[in-house]
Amino acid sequence: MITIPASLLRQIYDHTESSYPYECCGVLIGTTGQDKTVHAFRVCKNLNKERAHDRYNMDPLDFLKAQQEFENSPWEIIGIYHSHPDHPSRPSQTDTDAAHEGYSYVIISVEKGTVAKAQSWLLNGAEKKFYEEEISE
Amino acid sequence: MSSVTVKIPTPLRPLIAGQAELKIEGATVGEVLKKIDSQYKGFGDRILENGTNVRRFINVFVNEDNIRDKKELETELKAGDTISILPSIAGGNAG
Repeated sequence: MITIPASLLRQIYDHTESSYPYECCGVLIGTTGQDKTVHAFRVCKNLNKERAHDRYNMDPLDFLKAQQEFENSPWEIIGIYHSHPDHPSRPSQTDTDAAHEGYSYVIISVEKGTVAKAQSWLLNGAEKKFYEEEISE
Repeated sequence: MSSVTVKIPTPLRPLIAGQAELKIEGATVGEVLKKIDSQYKGFGDRILENGTNVRRFINVFVNEDNIRDKKELETELKAGDTISILPSIAGGNAG
């Protein structure tokens, strides 16, 4: 289970809705272990301009800056979020092929500009398969 | 020989006994990565393709410079540099 406070989740939803009809992305900052909790998030640029409606490539410099910002804190990057405009909040094959074991992948479905559903997923690297983890607010 | 700090992201830490960073000496990025691989078997395979190029889903930065914009694994290091190995994050609803 991953806990994302409702106020943070709303801000993440705002990012996905304001980015519609394009995919957007960001990193989730927090603590892992038994009480995996998101305490902050940082918006990252989607560098894929040609197919931004159905693909994202997170700006690695944005990722690095988020990592640096929190490296002297008890928090770290624990996951990734991205939106699926007018598609379900399930990982696609593209998501699976590019995923890294150890991060929570929160996918937010945005239907006609409004968030429809969010689900979090964890990759089993050996099976190359995602399993859902519950989101608690 | 330059002593540098190598920062390792969460997904790769199991490869180096759970450590978040290493202090290591080397004149180039490639040399440092090879040294880590010699200490932690399997590390190099996750970072490099055929031992010569950084894998597609990995980014390596020296301070704030992506080595793909520099001299790749031949990128030179100076004392106090920080190498950050980052997962490349990508995907999307297509496919």
